[in-house]
Formats: sequence, C-alpha cells, structure tokens
Amino acid sequence: MSASFPTAAASPVAAAAPALRVRDLSVRFGGHLAVSSVDLDVPAGRISGLIGPNGAGKTTTFNAICGVITPTSGQVELGGDDVSKLSTHQRARRGIGRTFQRLEVFSSLSVRDNVRVGLEIRQSWSRRRAAAPQFLAGGAELSADDEVALIIDRLGLVEVAEVPVGSLPTGQARKVELGRALAARPSVLLLDEPASGLDEQESVEFGALLGTLAASGLAILLVEHDIALVMRVCSELSVLNFGQLIAHGTPEQVQSNAAVLDAYLGGGGNDATAVERAAVDAGVNVSDTSWSGPGAPS
Amino acid sequence: MDKFLTFTIAGLSSAAIYAIAASGLVVTYTTSGIFNFAHGAFGMMAAFTYWQVHVAWGVPTIPAVILVVFVIAPIFGAVIERVIMRGIEGASDVVKIVVTVSLMVALLGIAQVIWPQNVSRPVPPFFEGRFVELFGVRVPWARLMALVIALVVAGGLKLLFTRTRLGIAMRAVVDDRSLLQLNGGRPGRTAMLSWGLGAGLAAISGVLYSTEQTLSAITLTLLVVNTYAVAVVGRLRSLPGAFLGAVILGLAQSYVTGYINPGLTIGPIALGNLAAALPAIMLFIVLLVQPEERLRAHGVERPRNPIRVPSQTVAIVGGVALVVVLAALGSLMSASDLVLVTKGAGIALVTLSLVPLTGYAGQISLAQMTFVGIGAVAMAAWGASGSPLAVVLVVAVCAVVGAVVALPALRLSGIYLALATAAFALFCTAMFFNQQTIIRAGSVQVPPLSFGPLSINTDFRQLVLTAIVFALLGNGLVWLRRSAWGRRLTAMKDSPVACATLGLNLTSTKVGVFALSAAIAGAGGAMSGRTFTADSFSLPASLPVTMLAVVGGIGSIAGAFIGGMLLGAIPIASTIFAANAIGIFRFVSLPVTNVLSFTPGLMGISLGREPDGAAPQIAVGYRAVGDSPPALVVSAAGAVALWVATRVGVITKWSFFAALVVFVVAVVPLLPLILTPRLPEDQAEPPRRVACAIWLALATIAAVLIPWATAITSNGVRVLLVLVLAALSARVAIGVLGVTPEQLRRPLPPSPDLIGVDRPLSRADAIEATHMMGLTEDEFEAEVSRAGADVAAAPVGALR
Repeated sequence: MSASFPTAAASPVAAAAPALRVRDLSVRFGGHLAVSSVDLDVPAGRISGLIGPNGAGKTTTFNAICGVITPTSGQVELGGDDVSKLSTHQRARRGIGRTFQRLEVFSSLSVRDNVRVGLEIRQSWSRRRAAAPQFLAGGAELSADDEVALIIDRLGLVEVAEVPVGSLPTGQARKVELGRALAARPSVLLLDEPASGLDEQESVEFGALLGTLAASGLAILLVEHDIALVMRVCSELSVLNFGQLIAHGTPEQVQSNAAVLDAYLGGGGNDATAVERAAVDAGVNVSDTSWSGPGAPS
Repeated sequence: MDKFLTFTIAGLSSAAIYAIAASGLVVTYTTSGIFNFAHGAFGMMAAFTYWQVHVAWGVPTIPAVILVVFVIAPIFGAVIERVIMRGIEGASDVVKIVVTVSLMVALLGIAQVIWPQNVSRPVPPFFEGRFVELFGVRVPWARLMALVIALVVAGGLKLLFTRTRLGIAMRAVVDDRSLLQLNGGRPGRTAMLSWGLGAGLAAISGVLYSTEQTLSAITLTLLVVNTYAVAVVGRLRSLPGAFLGAVILGLAQSYVTGYINPGLTIGPIALGNLAAALPAIMLFIVLLVQPEERLRAHGVERPRNPIRVPSQTVAIVGGVALVVVLAALGSLMSASDLVLVTKGAGIALVTLSLVPLTGYAGQISLAQMTFVGIGAVAMAAWGASGSPLAVVLVVAVCAVVGAVVALPALRLSGIYLALATAAFALFCTAMFFNQQTIIRAGSVQVPPLSFGPLSINTDFRQLVLTAIVFALLGNGLVWLRRSAWGRRLTAMKDSPVACATLGLNLTSTKVGVFALSAAIAGAGGAMSGRTFTADSFSLPASLPVTMLAVVGGIGSIAGAFIGGMLLGAIPIASTIFAANAIGIFRFVSLPVTNVLSFTPGLMGISLGREPDGAAPQIAVGYRAVGDSPPALVVSAAGAVALWVATRVGVITKWSFFAALVVFVVAVVPLLPLILTPRLPEDQAEPPRRVACAIWLALATIAAVLIPWATAITSNGVRVLLVLVLAALSARVAIGVLGVTPEQLRRPLPPSPDLIGVDRPLSRADAIEATHMMGLTEDEFEAEVSRAGADVAAAPVGALR
C-alpha cells in the first residue's frame, strides 16, 4: 500500500526555491514566549512536517504564518516576496491556505457550499491576482461547478455533499476544511492536524491524497500527531518543543534524534517503546499507532 | 482665568461621575464577558430609587445612600445576573447585545410606569450651600466629593483585582469559566458578585448625577453612551484607560459648554447641541485610532437550528400572499386602524433591513431609525414631487452614510459596531434631527410617492405599496442569500477567520452589507409617505426595532415581518386597550398601556431562553403548510372565504377578526397533518383526522357566530377572549389529533459525535451505527436478542 502513491521526494518540481520561507519567527504572549526564533523552509512539491508535543507552538506558528496573529518579530516570505506586513486575506491571496486544529467550518452551510464558498472567494480576487493552479486536477482548468464536484469527489464527500457541515463527524468536517482550502487554490497549504478523527484506512487514503497534491507541485506543511502518517508522507521534518526548533531533517534522522525522544517523553526517555514502535512501523508498514501527545505513550 | 478654572473643575467633577460609571461597565464586561448596555439604566433606577427613599419617604441622606448604593443596587445586579445573564453565556454577540439592550428598554419602561414623567422630582444636592475656595473659585463640596469618590473607587478596584482572591477569581472567570470551576472556583457566585459590584458603581454614578441634573429617566439612561465613549478608550477592559477617557470627555464637554457660543453655526448646523454630541464624536475618533482587532480561531460552535433558506418559488408565493392578505385586511379596516397597520408594515421594512446585516452576516446596528430619518429628511428635501427617482438617490445617500459610519467599527468586533451605531444615533439626533434648519418644528412630512398618474395619497394605497416593496425586497434578499455573496455572508458569520484565510476581505464585506442595510432602512423612510416627529429617529426609537427584529427571528424574512408587526402591534394594542378597557385591565393599578410600554424589552429579554427568535419555532408548524399543496389551498381558500363573507356583510368585522385568529393559530398549522397521508415516524396510533377536522371547523364557526360586537363592550376583553378561544381550540385540536406539528419535522442525519449526547438514542441511530460498522440488520437483531428479551422489546430510547 505504502508504495502505491508517488513519493514527494521524487517530484521534479522539488528543486526550486522554497515556496514558503520563515525566518527568525517569534511570538510572545505577555510574558510567555510561545514561538522563539523559528526558521522554516517549505519547498513546493513536497510535504514538510512540523511536529512536537502539545503546546510546543505549532498552531501559533501557523497563525503567525498566515497572519491571524501578529508575530513579535520575524519574517514570512511567500514565493520570494516578504508578506510579513500583509493582512490575513492578503496573504491568502498570495497563496497561503490552511486548515484549523479546532474546526472552523461554515457549519450552517452544506459540504458543497463550504467548498463553493472557498472557490467563490477565490474567484472574487483571482481576476486581479492569479491564483495557483488546481493541484487536485493536476493543474487542468475546470468550470467552477466541475471543480467543486472534483474536490468533493476526491475527498470522498460525495455522499454527504448536501448535508450541513455542522452535523458531520469531526473526521469528515476536517476533510471539508481541506476541500475548502483547496478550492481557494493555494500554493502553500498549512494543515493543522488534518488526520485526527480519521480511522486507519482513511488516514492511509489521506496520506495518498497529500502525496498526489505534492506531486503536482503544492507545498504542504503538515502538523500532525499521527506519527505513522507523518513518517510515511513527509520528506523532511522540523520538531518544535517549547517554541524552539530542536531538530530538523529527514524522518529517519529525526526519529533517531535524542533531543526529540527526550521532548516527547518528558525527560527520562526510559519508556521509549511507543516511539520506537511508531517509528519502526512508520518505516515499514501501516501501523495502528497514532498517539496524540506527550502523555499518550505512558 | 476664573472662568477656565470654573469649567475645569466642573469638567473634572463630571469626569469623576463618568469614571465611576465606566469602571462599573468595565468590571462587568471583563468579569462576565457581557457588555451591559443597560448600565445607564441601572444608574437611572438607582437615582429614582434614591429619590423615592430620600425625598418621597423622607429617609435621611446617609442611610438612603447606603440603602441604595450598598444594598438595593448590588442585590438588583446580582439578581439580573442570575435570572437573565447566566442564560446567555456562550450565546452569540448579537444575542448578548440584544438581551442587555432589551433590559435597558424594559427598565426605562418600568421606571416611567413607576415614576410617571409628568411629575418633577428634584433631588437635593449633597452638602447644599457649602463651598470651598480654590484659587479664587467657589467649588461646591459635592463636586469635590465626586472627585474623592472616583479616586476611592479607582484605588479600591485596583486592590480588589490585584490583591484579593475574589478579584483574581473574577478575572479568571472570563478567561476560562470551566477551568476556574475545575480549580475549585465558583464561577456562578463570582459572576453574581461582579454584576452586583457593577450595579453598585452604576448606582453611585446615577445618584451623583441626579443631584446635578433634573431627574429624567431617558437622560440618565442615555448617559450610558458617554460611559461607552469613556470605556472604549481603555478598549472596554482597562480601568486606567477608562479613567483617562473620563477626564478627556468631562473636560471637553465642560469647555465646549463654557467657550462655544451656542448660537454659532457651521452651515445649517447650530453648535448649541455640540456638548451632547461630544461623546459620539469621541467614540468615533477612538474607534478610528484603534488597531484592527485580531482574528481568533477558537473552533466553531455547531448551530442549534440552522435556518432553512426558502426557495425562490416559496419566496415569490409568500410575497404575493403578503400583498393580497394585507390588501384584503386593509380594505376592511377603519381609517384609524388602517393608519396603525400601515405604520406597522412600514416598520416591518425597517426590521427587514436587519435581515442581511444581522441575520445573514451576524452584525448588529442600533441606529436603523436614524437611517430611516436620513431617508425621510432627504426625501422631503429632494423628492417633494414624490418621484421614484428621488427615492433611488436617497437610498444611495443612505448606503454611503451607512458605509462611512460602519467603517471604523467594522474593523473591530461586534460590540464596537453596536456602540458606534448607538453613538451615531445620538450624534444625528443632536446635530441633525434637532436642528431647526433641518426639521422645522420637530416634525417632517415625507411626500407621498407618485408613479405617473398614480399617487400614493391614501393610507390604503400606502399599505399596498409598503406590502409590495416588502415583498420585492424580501424576494431580493432571498435571492441574495442564495447567491455567492449571500453564502459568503453566512460563511463569515460562521467563521470569520476561515474566510480571511481564504482571501476574503472581511472589512469590505461587512461594510457592503452594512451599506445595504442602511439603504433598505433609508428606503423605508423615503417611501413612508407619512409624518415623523424628530423623536422617531432617536436612539430610544431604534432600540426596539433591533430588539424585535431579533425576537422575531432575524435569519428569515418572515421573522423580520413578525418583528415589525409585533412592534406595530404595540401601538395598535395600546389604542385598543386604551379605548374602554381601563377599569377591567388594571392590575396593581397599572393601566395596560403602560405595561405595553415595556413589553418589547421583556420580549427581548426572553431571547435569553430562546436565542433563535420566534420565527423558527412558529415556522416549524407553518413550514409544513408550505410543503403541502392541499394545506396551502385550504388555508388560502379559508382566509379568502372569511374575507368575502365580511366584505359582503354576512359577518361582522369582529367575527372576522376572531375567526381569522382561530384559523391562523389553530387550523392552519394542523392542516398538513390532517390533509397529508404521510405519517410521522414512531407513531403508534393513527391520528384522528376526521374528529380533529370537525373540532376545528366547529371552533371556527363558533368564532364567527359569537356576537363579539354586541355582547362585549370592551375592546380589550374582546381581544383577550379571541386569543383565549384560539389557544384553547389549538390545544384541544392537538389533543384530539394525537400528533403535534413538531413530529412532522424531518430529522437531520444524526452526527455520530452527538448520538446520545444531544438527545436519547433512537432505534434509527442504532441501525445506522450498525451499518457503519459493516454489520447487517440481521446481525444487529441477533446481538440485541442475545442481550436479553426484555431489553430487545424496549425502545432504544428507554435504554439510557
């Protein structure tokens, strides 16, 4: 199964300059330094992972990248342009798309309308500033209705397309958020725990979908607690702990990094079985291991 | 120099009162998360209570002050928190604003009932006749005392919030109520204490202010707008900011009074009212310089009752029906009733203006009557011939004004838009509507429209025109809601942050919808063809419009109509009850008309219990009618038959009224159940359709045959008996039928997340879950029977 989808590293687009570049990003909430001097490079055509225990500053980093919060210092570059001074919607128009850890769906609208709103908002600005191609269609141009239908189909939401999102289970609502973000045709997609609420089978399919998207040129930054998924799909990983980057490298390098094991296990590192099992499983086959934070392995 | 010093000291002493009031506002807001629009009304009630205790009952000053400020007011605040505010915790901004605004209107109405306006109530100043010499200026003791009290309040609050356990708990409760509870705090008690404290501070400011000015319920209540302006300086959360704001406003008002000649004019605007407009001006300036609010991603609530958007066909049918029904009713009414109903329909246009703004986009405006006023005044000035083209121009002007007003506040959150619109209403009253050059002698006549040879110069034509305009605009709004822009507004209401991350400019979208709303309200003024007094455009006139629009159920056109008609019904009810009902309808010596004056407020407060408004609930019953063609036909035929019978003189108008009420309340909602073969699920016994139909027919015939016009002399008794008859008929009919309209509701597909949480499990849930697990129904049954025969026989709902 794991060999059936294209691996991101093999993509020909991967060599270009990073689509998203974050330099020296810091966010301070009162006396608490939530994110401290973080650097990130998210290249087009690849899936980069951002992992770390709960409270490490992953969501805050996302919020600062897309302009939902103003960072204390630091720079965000998109396709070589500095977007640090731009508002959220201006950054979105330059190609940042995202999903949310705590659902931000349009709960009174149907699944189809959620996706359609994403597309319509994009249509309202893309006359002035060209949006990225629809990576889900491999860059092919589609009519609006076809594009919405394609997104719903590819995300496996056909059966619930007319259901108000407010009444969907979390896993499906997360797919709706992803579909909505894709309808706006970002060039960089930030995914905040998109697989939580998915079962094992769905998680595998989801990983394959991300692989397809990256293969057509989308830059993806993935925050995820499903370590098996992360190890399977990411070509590189950054690890945050207490707001600081403590490791960066390929999944293989990161899983053998002592600081990372330490961060996840809260110091001792003597109960490494869960991490090891996750890492091993991730390398070889699909596991049933998905843990949700530093407390889980104990 | 003496003059300067005199005005400085006067300014500082008003600043002290503002600071005390604003600190109360900030305390309740920061500790309960609810911005108390009724804060001024709390102070007003305290001032009147002080007058009652001290002047009317002769209690000496100090015990009277202690009783009012330290006992009555805090208890009152705590009770309000417990009874009303606790219910709206976690509700949307709109509901929170409307509930506190309703409280303000209700208190205003209650105060005017208890302390009628026609009596002068002087409150003796504290330390009368005692002065201190300060730099050659005689300063009354009372002013110094105000300053001292403000300083004591400032110091006391600082100590409370930084040094005491209670104060820290008060700050914690707004950050995370459940966390505080987990840590052993008692959020309920803490919130009651903070409302009690806020009410006490409101009482101090109210009592202090009452000794300086004539005791007037409206003036004291609206003083709260000064308090808003002051509190906004500290972003509604900072006490030092509020104190700074108070000093600025107090001094500015004092110097304007002292140094600007009231006769001075700028163009047609006399500056005599500038001091009254200053808080509004200050509020706008402060809003302009505030940095843009940061967005928050905190997860989206699941809506309790997603409002169904009607199809365009339903909207067109509804629009035609509205015009026909109103025209039919109008042709039967006496001249005086026709005037009232026409005004009610006109107000429905104004409540309609809130549908896109509040219903679709989740924003709020407290100045809709101000836009009506701008429309009316502009039409009177530019459209004397009644040309429809003038209406277009006027509507465009209103849209532009609306956009300009809303822009500074829309960058911020909902509460600021409410504040800014309230300030705009006060500003326009002071600087525009109360100017002799603009509205002469306090009233403005809007020229009736004329379409070529057809002039809308009778009340009946005006009613039909209003109905047509409402139907057209309503249809336009339904179309809008179904368009891309409408979806976007709904999306923005559900999750602003998600919209921004898709590339939507939230501010321009909100400005657009606010302009649309102002334009519709302006059209309501420009096309009204009636005389308005300047008072009708004031803030106290706008508040009930917003309140009742939300009470009606603001997400739907029908809700807007219900809201408008509720508001229109109050003057109608007043005239009916005032005619000859006094003596029967007196309870605790309150004439019914007075009770009606605060009814809108009470209706608004009721939102605390039912945040979705009336329309969605009523709609459950009537929606089924729309889905059932036979029921629609019978409803329409019945109404037309009654109308024809009345028109040709077979039945009296009172019989018509009674039969229509019974028909609409009892017959129509049950028609689909009687006429449609579809049975509700889980219905053990078939409904007794024939028996129910016979009962309803009898009830309607009884309503026609009772000699309402001759047997009963009081209009009030008639209306009451008609309502009782309708309610009884409906209740008995449901009993006879054995099925309620709610059971016809089509269930939404259940969310597995919420199964068993939001309602008991049903058998359908269990079967669906079985399918999801990949089992067949037979396997499910096998499992159930293995669990035990007694369990298998029980409905799943009973297995909790």
